[in-house]
This record gives sequence, C-alpha cells and structure tokens, in this order.
Amino acid sequence: MDTGRCVKNRKINKIRKEVTEPQEYSYSEKTCNSHREVGDGAPAENETEKPELMLTNKMNHSPSRIYLQLKIDVIAIGLLILALCTRLYKLDEPRHIVFDELHYGRYVSLYTKGVFFFDAHPPLGKQLLYLAGSIAGYDGNFTFDRIGTPYTDNVPVKALRLVPAVSGSFLVLITYFLMLELSLHQWTAILAALLVLLENCFLAQSRFMLLESIQILFGLCGVYCIIKSTKRIGLTALVWLCAAAVLLGCCFSVKYSGLYTYYLSLFLVGRHIWLQLDQIKSGTRLLFSALWRFAVLLIIPLAVYVSVFYMHLSMLPKAGPHDSVMTSAFQASLQGGLASITHGQPLHVAHGSQITLRHTHGRTCWLHSHAHVYPVRYADGRGSSHQQQVTCYSFKDVNNWWIVKRPDQASLAVSRPPDAIRHGDIVQLLHGITSRALNSHDVAAAVSPQSQEVSCYIDYNVSMPAQNLWRVDIVNRDSEESTWDSIRSLVRLVHVDTGSGLRYSGRQLPAWGFHQHEIVADKVLSHQDTIWNVEEHRYTKADDRKERERELVTAEMIPTAVTQLTFWEKFTELQYKMIAHAPDAPHGHMFASEPAEWPLLVRSIAYWLSPDSNAQIHLIGNIVTWYTGTISVVVYSALLAIYSVRKRRACEDLPPFVLNKFYETGYTLFLGYWLHYLPYFFIDRTLFLHHYLPAYIFKILLLAYIMDHIYLVLQLHEKTKHVTNLFILCVTIWLSYIVLTFKKFSVLNYGNVDLKENDLMSLRWKDTWDFILHKKI
Amino acid sequence: MTHKLQGNVHESNLFQSKTTIWWITFSLLCGATFLTRYYKVLEPDHVCWDETHFGKMASWYINRTFFFDVHPPLGKMLIALSGKLSGYDGTFPFEKPGDKYDGARYQGMRLFCTTLGALVIPLTFLSIWEMTKSLEATFIGTLLLLCDVGFMTLNRYILLDPILLFFMSCSIYGCFKVSTLTNDGLLPFSPRMLSWQIFLGTSLACTMSVKFVGLFVVLFVGLRTVADLWNILGDLSKPVKFTITHLIVRTLTLIVWPFVLYVFFFWIHLTVLSKSGNGDGFYSSGFQARLEGNSLHNASAPRVLAYGALVTLKNHRTGGGYLHSHHHLYPAGVGARQQQITTYTHKDENNRWQIKPYNRERVEGTVVVRSGDLVRVTHAPTGRNLHSHRERAPLTAKHLQVTGYGEDGVGDANDVWKIVISGGKDGEEIQTVRSKLMLVHYLQACVLTTTGKQLPKWGYEQQEVSCNPNLRDKNALWNIEDNVFDDLPKVSFESYASGFLERFYESHAVMFQGNSGLKPKEGEVTSQPWQWPINYRGQFFSGSTHRIYLLGNPVVWWTNLAFLIIFFLVYIINSIKEKRAEAFGVSRQVGEGSLLLNAAGWTFIGWALHYIPFWAMGRVLYFHHYFPALVFSSMLTGILTEYLLSSVRSYLSPELGKTAYHCIIGVVISTTVYSFYLFSPLAYGMSGPLASEPNSTMAGLKWLESWEF
Repeated sequence: MDTGRCVKNRKINKIRKEVTEPQEYSYSEKTCNSHREVGDGAPAENETEKPELMLTNKMNHSPSRIYLQLKIDVIAIGLLILALCTRLYKLDEPRHIVFDELHYGRYVSLYTKGVFFFDAHPPLGKQLLYLAGSIAGYDGNFTFDRIGTPYTDNVPVKALRLVPAVSGSFLVLITYFLMLELSLHQWTAILAALLVLLENCFLAQSRFMLLESIQILFGLCGVYCIIKSTKRIGLTALVWLCAAAVLLGCCFSVKYSGLYTYYLSLFLVGRHIWLQLDQIKSGTRLLFSALWRFAVLLIIPLAVYVSVFYMHLSMLPKAGPHDSVMTSAFQASLQGGLASITHGQPLHVAHGSQITLRHTHGRTCWLHSHAHVYPVRYADGRGSSHQQQVTCYSFKDVNNWWIVKRPDQASLAVSRPPDAIRHGDIVQLLHGITSRALNSHDVAAAVSPQSQEVSCYIDYNVSMPAQNLWRVDIVNRDSEESTWDSIRSLVRLVHVDTGSGLRYSGRQLPAWGFHQHEIVADKVLSHQDTIWNVEEHRYTKADDRKERERELVTAEMIPTAVTQLTFWEKFTELQYKMIAHAPDAPHGHMFASEPAEWPLLVRSIAYWLSPDSNAQIHLIGNIVTWYTGTISVVVYSALLAIYSVRKRRACEDLPPFVLNKFYETGYTLFLGYWLHYLPYFFIDRTLFLHHYLPAYIFKILLLAYIMDHIYLVLQLHEKTKHVTNLFILCVTIWLSYIVLTFKKFSVLNYGNVDLKENDLMSLRWKDTWDFILHKKI
Repeated sequence: MTHKLQGNVHESNLFQSKTTIWWITFSLLCGATFLTRYYKVLEPDHVCWDETHFGKMASWYINRTFFFDVHPPLGKMLIALSGKLSGYDGTFPFEKPGDKYDGARYQGMRLFCTTLGALVIPLTFLSIWEMTKSLEATFIGTLLLLCDVGFMTLNRYILLDPILLFFMSCSIYGCFKVSTLTNDGLLPFSPRMLSWQIFLGTSLACTMSVKFVGLFVVLFVGLRTVADLWNILGDLSKPVKFTITHLIVRTLTLIVWPFVLYVFFFWIHLTVLSKSGNGDGFYSSGFQARLEGNSLHNASAPRVLAYGALVTLKNHRTGGGYLHSHHHLYPAGVGARQQQITTYTHKDENNRWQIKPYNRERVEGTVVVRSGDLVRVTHAPTGRNLHSHRERAPLTAKHLQVTGYGEDGVGDANDVWKIVISGGKDGEEIQTVRSKLMLVHYLQACVLTTTGKQLPKWGYEQQEVSCNPNLRDKNALWNIEDNVFDDLPKVSFESYASGFLERFYESHAVMFQGNSGLKPKEGEVTSQPWQWPINYRGQFFSGSTHRIYLLGNPVVWWTNLAFLIIFFLVYIINSIKEKRAEAFGVSRQVGEGSLLLNAAGWTFIGWALHYIPFWAMGRVLYFHHYFPALVFSSMLTGILTEYLLSSVRSYLSPELGKTAYHCIIGVVISTTVYSFYLFSPLAYGMSGPLASEPNSTMAGLKWLESWEF
C-alpha cells in the first residue's frame, strides 16, 4: 500500500509540474524525493499509530536517518523561503500609513518616548514592534495623524513591518508542522501550508504593522507544543508543555482574542487527562500528572501576561495626553503631567482647602459650576429651582475649584496647624469663583427627573432654604478617624438633609447647560458614579474674596516629590480600565461587517488608497480557498452526524484508526474554528473582517484535513479506489485555481500597480465588495 | 428495595398506600399554594410596577387600538380577555405605578394572572415526579418554589411573567411526560403519545407567544427530544424506520404545529387591533393603510410616480419620519447658512416635495419617473431644492450637510440626485408606497439619510438629515407615501396595504429592532446577571404605605445556589469514578441513584439554558428575568437533596440511616416554611419604617446591605 501511495503521489507531482509556475519547479523536485522517504516511514516518531508504517520502520534503519531529517527540512525551508518571498517583497511600499498602522505606529512612537498611553488591547504586540523600531534606530518623531500620510525618512518602515511579515511567514511553516503533528499525511501538511501561503488575507495582514499574524503565530505554535506534549511522557512532556504555556501567554498578551486559543489548549490537555483515566491504574500518578499540567498551564501564561504589563508600565514612565482615562492617583505617579501639578500640594484636606473634585471612575470630569442658572422651565414643562448650575466638566477650568468649609467657621484661611477634615465630618463646599455653596433639594434634576437637582444656592427668599450641608464619607478609609487626603481618598458626598449622594448621572445637559454633564443627588449610594476624589489641592492663604480669586487664577505649584504607586496597584487599575473601557469606535464604519457575513466573505476592508493613482490595498481573502473552507466545515459537520448515527446503529464503516483520527482532528480543528468564531456573535461592538482570521486559519487546516479524509476513504474501498486519481486531479485543478486567484488579487495586497476602472471591475467578483476609484478631474 | 421480596398482595397494598400518600402530598401542596397566592391578592388596590404597561395594553386590546410592544401578543391578549370577561371596560388609563384603581374592575385580570401563576407549583410537582418518581425529591423541590417569596410576588400581579411561567411549566411537564412515554415504548402514532405531544407543542407555542425568552424552553425541549430520539436509535432491536417515524411525528407536533399556532396568535393580534393608535409611526406605510382612522386608510393615490407630482417621502427605518423643511436656516457655525432639512414624524404641509427632472422645470404630459433617473426635489411650500455639498452635517461629523437651496426651484448642480430603487433594476417605474428608494447625490456620491439624532433647539428637536458617503447605509431608504398627481388614475391604498404575511414579518422586524434598542444608557443602574442567583438586589413593586418588594427568599435562593455548585462537583466526581472504574474493568451498575442524577443533569441544563444566555445580552436586563431559571434550580435542589440523602443513608446502618434521613428532611421542611413566614411581608405588603431602622417589623431581616426594603 505504501509503495502504491508513493507512486500516486509522484503522479501528483507530475501533474503539478505541468501546472505550476517554473519558480516552483525545483521545489517540486525536492518534495518528490523526500516523499519517497516518507512513504518508507519518515516521520516515524509521530506515526506509530499507523500499523502499516510500523512495518516499514524496521526495514530501513540507521543509514537513512540523517538523510531523512535533512529532506524534511528541505520541504519546510522551501515553504519558508516561498513565504518570505511573498511576505517580504517590497515591504516598505507603500511608504504611507496603511490602516491601523495609524494606531500601532503611534503607540511605537509613544514607547520610544516613554509617554504613557492607554489602549484596550494588551501590549506585547506593540512592544515587539517597538523593539524592531528601536533596533532600526527610530527616534519616535513622527506623528501618525491619519491613514495615507506619507512616512518621512526617519521612520524605519521596513523594520517596523518586518515583525508581522516574518511572523506571517513562519505561520506557513507552523501549519505544516502542526498538520504533521496531527499525524496527517505529509501531502496534507504541504497542502495546508500552501493554502495559508496562497491566502491573500494573511498576506495583506502580514505586510503591515498589524498584530493578527503575530497573535496567530503564537497561538498555533502553542497548540503545536500542546499536541507534542500530550504525545510524550515525563520530562519531554513537561518541557513541551512549558513552551506551550509561554507561547499561549504571549498569544493573549498580543490580543485578547488569543484567549480562545488558550481555552482550546486547556480543553486539549483536559481531554488528554480524561482519556488517561481508564488506562493508568495508579490514582496518585494520575492526580499528579493532572495537577502539574494544569499548574503549568495556569501559572506560566499568567506570569507572562503580568510581566508583559510590568515591562509596559516600566517602559512608560512619563505622563502624556492619553492618561486622563486613569485615576488621579495613577496620573500622579507618572512623571510630568498631573504629577507636576500635584506634587508638593498638601495631603490632608482641611477647612479652607481649595480643591478640584474629580469623578473617579468612568468619564473623566470635574465638579464644576458657573454663573448661569437652571432655566425656569424645562422643555418638558417641569420647573427648576432657577439656581446656579452645577455640572461635571471634562476639561480643566478655573471654575472647577471649590473651597471646603466647616459650617460653623467664618474665616476661610487655613489655620496652623490645618483643621483636617475626617471621615463623617459635615462640610460645605463653596464654589471658588462665585462663592456660592453646593446645595441640593427636593426638586427633580434637569435630565434625570428621578434624582434630585444639585445647584449652587442663590437666596431668592422664596421659602426655599439652603440645604448645603454634606457629609464626607471616605470609601477607602483605614479607620473611622481617617483624614480626607487629596488624590488618595475616594469620597462620597452625602447630602445631610436627604441622605442622597452627589452623583454624576452620565447624561448631557441641553444647550442651556453648554452640553456639560449633569450632576444629581441620588438615593442609591452604592453606585460607583457617586465616588469622587480631590485632584488638585492647596490651602487658602488670604481671607479676602478678591485675593482668593486671584490666588485661584494665578496659582502654580512647584513639584517636589513623586507619589508612588506599586506595580500591582497600577496593574489592577489598568486591567479594570481596560475591561470597563467602552470603545468609542465609530458605529456604522464603512467597512465594518457582521460575524454572520464572514464565512461568505461579504465585505472586504479598504486599507489604503494611493494618493496619486488607483493602486490600493484591501484585506480580502482568496475566495476559492474561502468558499471551499466554508464547505469543508459543512462537510465535517455532516460526516460527524453520519458517523455518529451509524455508530449508534452499531455499523462499522471505517476502521477504528481512521475514525479515531477523524475525531481527534475534529477536537482540535473543528472545535478550534468554532471557539474562535462563535464568541463574536455575542460581542456588541463594531467588528471587522480581520477578527475572523484566527478562526479562519483553523478552517483552512480543517479543509486540508477533509481532503486527506476523503482521499483515505476513497482508498479504503475497492470500488472507489480507481476514483482516487480523479480526485487527485480535481484537487490539482482546484489548487491551480487558488494559485491564479491569489495572483490576480495580490495586486490588492502589494498595492504597487495602478488599477484602471476595468481592472477593478474585473476584480469585483461580488457586488458587495467596495473598491475605491479616484474621481476623474 | 426490600419490599421486592415480600408477597404480591403486600406489594399491591404498599402500592395502594403509596398512591394515597402521593395524593395527600399533592393536594396539601396545592392547597398551600392557593392559600398563599390568593391571600390579600387584591391589595394594594393601585397600579403596581409594570401593571402600568400591561394594563394599558389590555385596555388597547379591548378598545382595539393599535400599539407597539417588544413582546409577542399572547400574554397581553389573555390579560385583555380575562379583563373583558370580568367586566373591565378598558377605560382606566394605567398612567403610572401608584394610581388608585377607583372602581376600575382590575380584579378579574389580577385573579387570572395569579391563578396561572399558582398553577406553576402543581405543574412543577408533576414534572419532578415524572422525572424521578421519588416523592421526597418532588416534595422538597416543589416546597422550595412554593416558599419562595419572590416567586409568589412576581406571580400575583397583572404581568406577563405568571403567564410565561405557566406555559413554560406546561412545556416542561409535557416534555418529561413524552419522554417517559417514549421510554415505556409507546408507538409514535398511539393516541396517548400523540395527544401528549400536541399538548407539548401547544405549550411551546404559547410560551414563545408570550415572551421571546420562551425560546430557551424551546431549546430545552429540543435537546430533550434529540436525546429521546438518540435513545430510540440506540435500541438495536427496532428498525431505523421506527426512529424515522418518531422523528416525523415529532417534527409535525413540535415544530410545524407550534409554528402554525404562533402565526395564528399573530393573526388574532393583527385582526383585533384594527384601529389606528399610538403605535402607527413604527410601521411602514403599507402597514398603516390597514388601520382604521389612519390617514392612509381608504385613501387613494396614483400607482406610479410621475414628474411634477407632489409627494411626501417617508424614511424606512423604524419610527422614521417624513422628509421635512421649513423657513428657517441652519444657525451660524453649523455648515452653510441655508435652509434646514429634517425629518418630522407628524403629518404637515411642510412635508410636501415636488419631483422634477434635473434639467427642466416642466415636463409635457405624463412622464413616469424611473429608477436611475436624475431628478431635482423641490420643497413645495418654500420652493427650495434639496441640496448637499462638502460641509459636515450638523451632528454627524462624517456625513455631509443637506440643505434647502435656490429660489423657486432654481439652484445649482449640487441639487441633482439620482433616484434609485433599492434592489431594483434601472428603468423600473417608481411606485407609490411599494418602492424602496435611495436618493444618491450626483456630484458628491453620497446618499440621503437620516441619522435619527435629535437636532438642538434651533432645529425644533426634529431629526437630523444628512448625506452619507457610505452608500450601504440601512437608514437611507425612503418611500413615497402621499402622491398627488391629477393626470394619472388613482388606485385605492387598499391595494398597497400589506398582506397578513408581510405584516407578520414586519411586526417581527420592528419587535427585534425595539428589543435590541433597549440599551442601558451611560451611568444608568441596571441589574446584572451575576447579581441574580445571589439575590443581590430586588425591585420595588409598590411604594409608600403599602410597600411590596420583589426579592427572593434568601434561604431558598442561597440553598439553590449552593446546590448548583454541589451538583457540579457531584457530577464531575461521579463521571471520574465511572471512567476510573473502566480502568479496573468494572462497570458501575445503573440504579436509582443514576436516575436521580440524570434528572438533576437535565434540570441543570434547563437552568443553564435559562440563565447563561443573559450574560451575552446587550439589552437592559431586570431581576425578574431570573425566575424561569429559578424553577429549574429549585427542581435541581429537590432532586439532589434526595440523591445526597440516599447516598449518605446507604453508608449508615438501616436504623440510624432512617432516623438521620427523616431528621434532615424535617429540618429542611421546617426551615423553608419558617423562612417563608419571616419574609412573607415582602409580598403581602409592609408599612411603617424601613428595615434599616430598629422599630421596623422587618428589622433584623436586612441581611444584605443592598436590599432596599
């Protein structure tokens, strides 16, 4: 049977020689040579399950061993070289900002300068880009302002794009190894690698400063190591597992969607242990092996993740324009920025303190008031108190200053020693510029009528007395006697008369409130929007009002020392903000797509359009592979159902080893596909085609496997044996179609050819694809 | 199972006494159920919580006025029916919670809902019995549900939940009944089997027609059915044909029949609501033409659009308005200072537009406008042309501004639009109401759309109209509604009116859009799924002097929570044990324990199906969404208690085992009942100070800070 298969495979080669291009010629030659060895039992270590290969193992022993290894490498190296050729070809063209390079490039610049930034994705991918950039000597002086801006000479475009490009090339290699490791036929592995190689979307994604190819590479390597480890025992298994754990940790430190790969690996290891349950007799040994496996898989990835963030935070010590998302305490720990304002300011808030009150969680804004009053009647007919507006304002402003005052003291100057405010104390808050006191009363708020209005009290003598006493409730107090500290203390201001808490309601006021955010007093105290903290703080020196105002307007503090936050405090805060961060990605983006549209490649994404020609770059898949991939998922599901039903009826159609392999591969590839795809149906934000790529690579592997499976089934039965040649012919024709499509669409990946309207129309195979044409002038 | 050894006579005696005990237990529980549910059911005599919605909708049904709601119609129709039968005349406004009924006959509706809600308890009893055939498990499971104060509160008012829970319980019962019958080997076409399957199908259809969460129980029944079929298939003594017959019968009774019923309910809904009401605006022109009192009803207009016709253009998005303009300019700083273009939901003279060819003022004779034509659209009252240019739209930065430009219809090249039928071919005639139109700006290649955002005061809070460069905008579809042109024969609107299936389809589109539009606003306190199983926070049903607070009985809920975790552990340990047994070549025998565990597994699946999907939902969630899951969770607790107790019992000596067993059962029952007694004021109404104050009747019961009673 072996020799027979070898002959057939050589036949494929002949056919291949006819259809493939000359540059692949030499490569085919090599594969033919090597193949004969494979038929003789080449990947002996991993194919022990195959009974027929066991036999041939004995036949040729030592002399061919080195020879054999070399040949396998030749295939791999051939694939890698091909991949590198496609991925690295004219890498620095176009020298313009392409798509999300806008963001990632900007982050690289910020890393170079050490300026803190906030991003909802984990940092490893960006760090790798930065590493390449810094080796090539990038100085960070380029503003990534919008897509299409040409790069200046100081940007090492090639180096920055090298990381994803090399990752994308190794992706081809790892698919080859992974398929071999799944104990599939070598031809299947080559097929899979070719499919990845000839896939336009992976090509496009690898050629620019984008993170998907890095993430997928880490993920697939991780899965590869996991499979290796499940097939070994003892120390080797441990080593492979550790490698897998590190790689998987890296995978989800690049993008959180890498977590799905991690779950897949957890499942594979869990299944491995499960299968051992009825084989190994010793319970302790079993328990031990389960424990160390899960320990490794939990601890190492987590450690990788944390250390990536440790590097991230230590690489970014300086404050910058992007740190306003973080709490005051976090900002104050950065060099410059808020730190330079708040250093040297007094710690304890006391009677007479001038403070700005920041809304701690969620939107960054400060308690604000100004010399405008609430309108007498709102648009819906409700009345207001007609007193001075209190809002939450998102920008720093002199009107954000408030003065803390004890109700029973008249002078505002801070005594010596300062009369510190403690938890539970009752205070009044005077607005710095207008000197009116913060007040709340039983009047419905402007936009959220279920809550109370908050105003600065104006005495109209209309039987509406001032209710301006607030109790200071320090949320993170150590003891009941805690002092109110600037920056550090999180406080809730509870209105004494009604028990309501000062709260940011999240809604915007209409034009009369200058579209600032509404402040209300709310009965529900436990909401996190009732939490505030003092950001800027200083003691009032003069008692005179005019003098105080001048102080407010002119004050500038000189920094003396940096406040310290431990790594863990920063880490937890950053994690929290990343989870809570609502992406303000534009809804209804022109090239956004729905998960349900992905398997049929309904939409593409325009990455770049040349400013002076119609050369353009799109993320678009190789439609032949794409559709057959989708069909392969359907075929696998159908086969799964048929085989299960047949088995239930106790009919054995396939020999157990074929069936086992069918299930084994299914657990990795089929499950892997759905695990990376299904969650997107439940994600409520703008999605793009490139979110599908991690799932898609599993689909390609599944496609290759289905081909392998059909071939095997055809081989099994005498009747269908002669159809195999036809099948191989079909596969070859199909493959050549893939090559042609790849070549045709690669103009949209390299973006180096000016496309006429006709060219574009001939590429527009689906009328839902949108390409861009410059208008004729 | 010692009595197996005893004589035949003895056994039948025992069986007799067992049946008697069964009936006593059942009637005891039923009695307790109705006693607790009907006690003070008519208090408070004011509108409680969501009664304001469902009462209002019942009134609309009685008055036959059309309205829009995100839920399917059956529940509300049943409420309306019960109201009608008990003499409610549909005049009470149900304005807001707390309004006194003052003689309005709400009693019938409330009693109806309470009755359905009460029936859930006996149905649960029957379901657990069907699953386990263990009276202890059944009793404990049902008792937990009976003694849950929250469950009782939710089921005593004019709400959809009692109706939903009732039909859901019917489905669960039917599903397990069918599965027992299948296991007994009943033939697919036997009358008993068929009637139970039709019962199950009917319950499924009703559940789905009350609220869309009924989908989860459909899924549950689907899984159970697949499992049944799988079992039948595994019986090698029967031919495959047997399985296929089963499959066919089930497809008919559990898929086709429910679907027909579901459509039928919508048919009733759409037939009953024949008068125009406040829901009209959500629906298309064709839909509105069916409603009596709507301006489109019995109106007539030319079938096609001709040049020179006066028309109104309605936006196709849900609740979309008419293209509108008026004698006011965009203020300084908002693009060019030209005339405003908006959409406006009310009918108004300023919604009228005239269609003209792009290059001529007048057309001789009657020329029909065709898809792909270049046209100008002139605002009839002011004579300005619909115009767009390279200025950003007032609110949406990425869109272009749309203005009214020119004088008496004379403008510039930026007034030219290409009129296209969406999904149609070039050259097709443009039809009134039916055609979905896109207006593509000829020079800027953008499409006329409305963003649905409200303009500030200067725009009279009408909605923004802009020109979107993304031609795939789903809001960019318009249709001609009024069409005034004298030279063409008029056709009655009757012919545009949508048929039933179109309206059925449209109602669903609108409902789903409404459902997904229920997004929490920034800063709003919403209930979150993690809070539910731990009974974190309740919901006030009624305030002031007669306070009612929807909150689960913490004893029941926390026990349920613990048992969910215990089940998980027990299940894992059990499967590992089984797998390990294979390693030593022994297979564990199937006993009563595995029957219980299997039943527990199914209830666990039921719980997961009714709880986990909420984690993935983006819409606003409420505490009461957890109650369907609670039914399953209580069943699980009952079954698992029995399983654990009998496992423990098997380790002890018979004498000791029996004593311990009965002691524990006694403790469980008394704790549950006592906790019900403690927390029952939550449901029956509290007055006086809040529980946080020491002199309250509920003092000491505020076990969690987050409870607000």
